[in-house]
This record gives sequence, C-alpha cells and structure tokens, in this order.
Amino acid sequence: MDSESVKKAVIKQVLIESNTANARQLIEKINENCFEKCIPKPGSSVSAGEKACITNCMEKYMAAWNLVNTAYVRRIQQEVNNNSFET
Amino acid sequence: MDASIEQSDLDRLSEKDKGELRQFMTNEQQRTRIQSQTHALTDICWKKCVPGAVKNNALDSSEQSCLANCVDRFLDVNFTTMKHLANMRNQ
Repeated sequence: MDSESVKKAVIKQVLIESNTANARQLIEKINENCFEKCIPKPGSSVSAGEKACITNCMEKYMAAWNLVNTAYVRRIQQEVNNNSFET
Repeated sequence: MDASIEQSDLDRLSEKDKGELRQFMTNEQQRTRIQSQTHALTDICWKKCVPGAVKNNALDSSEQSCLANCVDRFLDVNFTTMKHLANMRNQ
C-alpha cells in the first residue's frame, strides 16, 4: 500500500467505527424510550398494538433526534459567531 | 478491503497525508462529540416534550417547537451556570 491508500483505509475504518458507535447509541436510546412508552405493563408477549406503537415511536424518535441535532448545531454556530466561548 | 491496518502501513504515510489525517481526526472528534450531545439532549427533551402515548410516526407542531425550545433553554442553563461559576471564582 502507498501513502494514499493507507490514508484512505484509515479514514474508512474510522468512519465505520464512529458511525457504528453512533447507531448503537441511537438504538439504545430508542429501546429505552420506546419500551417505556409502548410497553407500560409487560404481558406474556408483545401485542400487535404494542408492535405498531414501537415502530411509530422509533420513527418519531429519529425525527426528534434530527430536529434536536439541527437546533443544537444552529445554536453552537450562533454562539461561535458571538464569541461566547472566549472569555 | 477489510484487511486491518498495521503499524508498518502507517509508517508508509507521507508527512502531508499524516497532516491530513490529523485534521480528519480532529473533525471526526468534533462530529462525535456533537452526536453524543445530541443523543443526551434528545433523551432529555423527548421526555419533556413528547408526553403520553405515541399515536403516529411524526412529531406534531407543538412537539416540534417544544423540542427546539428545549435545546435552546438547556443550553441557556448551561451558559448561565458557566457564567455564574466564573463570577463566583472572581469574587
């Protein structure tokens, strides 16, 4: 491997790892929050209604994540422009 | 290409590519930090802004504005805390 392909391999590996870690964190949060919402009283199996709730909850949670991420990035940029981090 | 990267491969990096990789890692670290913080904020704000049963797969408009406000107010609290701490230290 020459320098260029080593660099590309490192970048690829780092991206795979950080994206996997991010996905794992998201799945963990979805499980936690949607279990809380959709399975208030665990029965002997997951009912059809509970299953529907879980898929809805999952999509809704992802929408919330995206919205929060956008709002957070916007705010950080605003604070950077105002030099809020320099004291 | 799933061959693992060995030290001997890394030794082949040119100074220019090393520099580019350092920059890439700095950016990645920042991206990871923002994503982690987003996970924590979404968790906090979901609990505050999406009460009750989940009826469909979309956020309604009041939930959307609550989430955006939640992020801003949380950060306000953060900044207020930091400023107050700085004041306390200077007293």
